[in-house]
Amino acid sequence: MLTICPYFHVHQPHRVKRYRVFDIGNDSEYFNASDETDLNNGRIVRKVAEKSYIPTNKVLKELLDTHPEFRFALSFSGTVLDQFEMYAPEVLESFQEIVATGRVEILADTYYHSLAFFYSVPEFERQVAKHQQRIHELFGVTPRVFRNTELSYNNDLAKWCEDNGYLGIMAEGWDPILEWRSPNFLYTPTGCSNIKVLLKNYRLSDDIAFRFGNREWASFPLAAETYTEWVRSHHGNGNTINLFMDYETFGEHQWEDTGIFQFLGALPGMLMQEGDITFKTPSETINEYDSVGELDVPHILTWADTDRDLTAWIGNDIQKDAIHKTYELEKDVMRAGDPALIEAWRKLQTSDHFYYMCTKWSNDGDVHAYFSPYESPYDAYIAFMNAMSDLQLRVTEALKRRHVEAEQSLWEQFVVWLKKRCARLPFINRRIHTHTS
Amino acid sequence: MRILTFGWEFPPVNVGGLGKACQGLTAELMMQGAEVVFVLPRTQSVDSSMRFIFADIGSQHPAKLYEIDSPLRPYQHAQSLLEVVTPDGRRVRLSRTVIEEVHRYAAKAADIAKQETFDLIHAHDWVSYLAGIAAKRVSGKKLILHVHATSYDQAASDCVDSDICAIEYAAFREADCIVTVSQFTKNVIVDKHNVDPEKVEVVHNGNEVHAPPQHEPTLVAHRLEGKKIILYHGRITVQKGVDYFVRAARRVVDTNPNVLFVISGYGDMKPQIMHLVGELGLSNHVLFAGELWGVERDRLYQSVDLLVMPSVSEPFGLVPLEAIQHGTPVLISKQSGVSEVLAHALKVDFWDIEEMANKMLAVVTYGVLNQQLVSESQKELQTLSWRRAADKVMTLYRRLLAWVTLRR
Repeated sequence: MLTICPYFHVHQPHRVKRYRVFDIGNDSEYFNASDETDLNNGRIVRKVAEKSYIPTNKVLKELLDTHPEFRFALSFSGTVLDQFEMYAPEVLESFQEIVATGRVEILADTYYHSLAFFYSVPEFERQVAKHQQRIHELFGVTPRVFRNTELSYNNDLAKWCEDNGYLGIMAEGWDPILEWRSPNFLYTPTGCSNIKVLLKNYRLSDDIAFRFGNREWASFPLAAETYTEWVRSHHGNGNTINLFMDYETFGEHQWEDTGIFQFLGALPGMLMQEGDITFKTPSETINEYDSVGELDVPHILTWADTDRDLTAWIGNDIQKDAIHKTYELEKDVMRAGDPALIEAWRKLQTSDHFYYMCTKWSNDGDVHAYFSPYESPYDAYIAFMNAMSDLQLRVTEALKRRHVEAEQSLWEQFVVWLKKRCARLPFINRRIHTHTS
Repeated sequence: MRILTFGWEFPPVNVGGLGKACQGLTAELMMQGAEVVFVLPRTQSVDSSMRFIFADIGSQHPAKLYEIDSPLRPYQHAQSLLEVVTPDGRRVRLSRTVIEEVHRYAAKAADIAKQETFDLIHAHDWVSYLAGIAAKRVSGKKLILHVHATSYDQAASDCVDSDICAIEYAAFREADCIVTVSQFTKNVIVDKHNVDPEKVEVVHNGNEVHAPPQHEPTLVAHRLEGKKIILYHGRITVQKGVDYFVRAARRVVDTNPNVLFVISGYGDMKPQIMHLVGELGLSNHVLFAGELWGVERDRLYQSVDLLVMPSVSEPFGLVPLEAIQHGTPVLISKQSGVSEVLAHALKVDFWDIEEMANKMLAVVTYGVLNQQLVSESQKELQTLSWRRAADKVMTLYRRLLAWVTLRR
């Protein structure tokens, strides 16, 4: 028996509007573009809802209704859930309906789709906790398997997950790490004993996520029958095929006219037809199969580009500058303690902001590989840094206010103490009362 | 193959982008095996191994010389008086108009074409188009027109010089192939001159890719004061959008008074710009550096924090590439050909003063931005060589010379 373990990642960032230097100190809204550009978050969420979320959920619901063995997992960023509530509540309801079948597992994640683990573990932990609470609130479940932003992974993160009671963690099944081994088995991360790592079969995943609609591709147009044959050829050569991809593959990255919805609708039935292939959620997969060995990933591994590292997010100088400025602010933001400031700061941690500043294409000559709502990576950086400068200003002011309040309360405490001390002297006590009332 | 090439100006005489482009392209074409015979209207000194023919229309029809101090571009208006630089470096204006000179050049070109043997004709910019056509009519060889600018760019509006426009219309029809220096310019001639897009090839200009010598810095006192310096360098004309630069400067100074703006160059709009600077109360923040060439200009490039090219309409735009070569980041208008080939530059619509000011402020505020723009654009410059441009032109020459078109 061969298992298919799919997970679809649902995410939208809060894109920073064209925030200008002149706005610093005057405008504390960074994400409220209301124009006809792709920086208008509401507009994008509604557009993607129409093209992808609504039609895809319809297909997935039908599949769950038709095939009692059909299973998969979803991962949501908190930022997309917030935006569904704001701009497309019907989408959120359709997800709740799917999850209510009990055959769709939700994965743990950072709330703000951030790279916090690599910059501040305490902040990372706060975001994971917030995410867990939000998922429980909306779906009534508690995630048991972890996946990190952009599938970023290393031994330390696996250890953190084990220490925090997770059953498993997702990672990229990248050949240079695996060497002769196959991604179609479970492994134990170096330094861990209980947790298992599920590796993405990137060839079969990317056949759908990246290549499906490519007319230049030798296998275009890809039929569900052909894909089923490719999967079946792994029989006896693995336990599970982990298909990890962006949820927006369906209808947004691969448009409806490529036939992606028909493909999705037909595939599960086709795979299960002979009875030798079954679907499992990540938790079920982890319970079913033993680890076949140790997997050592000392350096950060991601699912991006041919480098499979973080260079698409923090590869160039402006990206590094922007992310360092972000985490430098942590101490002051937390000390200021204003929920609005903390929220804005966290929204700015979303990895997409740094991705928009990527200039790797100039080496690859592949401009289109890096989709961005900004006209250039430099425009993205300028808008981001201006917003960050405003936030910094607001944090400094908040700290000043707190300092004044703290001083005031110190004075008040002194008065209380003085009153007590002088309680024995009625005359002075009366004088103090008169002064302070 | 031998190419009879018609130009109008050529280094080392102080010239604008046209002469430099002719030099860069033809030098590389020679390297690739083309034999270029370069025709110029007047005798001048040249430091090139190429064969030159001087049509010497000036000496054959002696014209009265006027000394002038306003260095208008020679081809700005068809009816403006012609201006030349004498061997001792003085600018003089001839009693003839540019349009008269262009026709004389064409007459002479016909004679030259009768005497010379060649395979193709290549004429640079409108002042040489008639010469190219004359040569074509005499020899029956195919003609390539190289569009470095159009009458629509010069005017920066639809109020174009009708004489130049008439020549462009006629010449584009008679040419066998047209080369434009950008997609931007191709769009202009397709839209405005109704040229068949199939007939037009885009060949972006190249640039000197070698690192230039470092000079003593200039504006030292200002720099020591901690001032950030933003430069405009080029002609001061409507086409160049200097007024937008000044208006953006006002916006910048409102936010950060520690920025100094330098305007280097001459042009018919200079009095108007000086007036605008006064009107906006920017006299303490804007310096007029005059017209700078050679080492003086390079020192300025090397001493500033940002170069801005706010052109309203710029067929290509060599100045940003020169600035990058000297290690200065650039902010360029989207209405320029060079913005098609530069990814590591800040870009703005010329009319968007707010955004222009925003980007100027970002460069002087975020040091890392400045740093990355310089290092990445210098890498990018290496790919914008004249060799790449010459490769395309050579392919075009071969195609035009093919007697039989092979079917695949």
